[in-house]
Amino acid sequence: MMRALIHGLLAAVLCWGAAAGAEQTLTELPERPPAPDFTLEDMDGNSHSLSDYRGQAVIVNFWATWCPPCREEMPSMQRGWEQVRDEDIALLAVNVGETADQIFVFTADYPVEFPLLLDRDGSVTDDWPVKGLPTTFVVDPEGRIVYRAVGGRAWDDPALLDQVRSLVDGG
Amino acid sequence: MRYARGIAAVLAALGVAASAPAEVVRETDPETGLVSWRWQGEALSLELVQRLPDQSRAFFLGRGFERDNSDAIAAACIFQTILRNEASGEGGPTLRVDLNEWRVVRNEKAVPPRLEKQWEPRWEETGASQAARVAFRWSLFPSRQQFEPGDYNWGMIPFGPGPGERFDLRIVWHEDGETRRGVMRDLRCAPDVADPRKEEPK
Repeated sequence: MMRALIHGLLAAVLCWGAAAGAEQTLTELPERPPAPDFTLEDMDGNSHSLSDYRGQAVIVNFWATWCPPCREEMPSMQRGWEQVRDEDIALLAVNVGETADQIFVFTADYPVEFPLLLDRDGSVTDDWPVKGLPTTFVVDPEGRIVYRAVGGRAWDDPALLDQVRSLVDGG
Repeated sequence: MRYARGIAAVLAALGVAASAPAEVVRETDPETGLVSWRWQGEALSLELVQRLPDQSRAFFLGRGFERDNSDAIAAACIFQTILRNEASGEGGPTLRVDLNEWRVVRNEKAVPPRLEKQWEPRWEETGASQAARVAFRWSLFPSRQQFEPGDYNWGMIPFGPGPGERFDLRIVWHEDGETRRGVMRDLRCAPDVADPRKEEPK
């Protein structure tokens, strides 16, 4: 019963996403606010600070394992990551409120190679203009938020990745 | 084909102020028996999917709530809600939604959904854990949110009536600053049963 429910919901979002049309967008934030810095641990206990990535474009994704569109976009984030990992682009996926064990189990079905960071008490997420999950921001090499995407995207879409690349190509 | 036959689709024209006529599609999932209602306006689409109380109870028990609190959430008529700005590309309208403006209409009374703020005193009173509160906050549909073209969000909305009860929902959104309104009629909270397909007709 539960499996059928989950499959039904995922099928619904897949169909809806397909029906919604192919054009994907990132919303540009013309004021380019400074990205709030954070230091969070990844699954292996290693610390990552956003400021460590200054000089690169950084895709910062806020997500949770129980969030259907987060699960839906995660494989495309991995595929996108494989396209840009050798460029000056970083991808950090900040999990909101879950444990390393919960995420570890999740990655059996959704293996990814970019850092999954743990915001256990949600305090980092509170510092960012996040209203719902998933929300993704693109931070430019100067540490400013340039783009925002509310809801999932297909992150292996060249059009989206080109918007990110433009930030490190002098855009 | 079997799936298609199992779906009972009902189209109902709705009275919508200040926008083109919208329609609601009501569907029953043949595998789960759960019902969903989908509103399709010009830029805004809204889908409300019943959640069984047992689904919500298990979800929140698994995220650190005690039984009493999980039961209270489960009994609050939770719908999985998916709202999308269907416009694409630059120049599409910005949508703004504030759930405080929505009204659950039942027995000739209209009240807002039971939003996050209304639950906080209970969490304080019962000493709900930080982990549970974080899970609750982020699993609910945001009370206020802006949707640019292509944006969408998922989340739960506790509408408030008891399991199996029916209500109308007045929805309000703002499209490039212009207020739009609509009514979704005869929504029904999921019954507190293990399998809605075996529920006695009401």
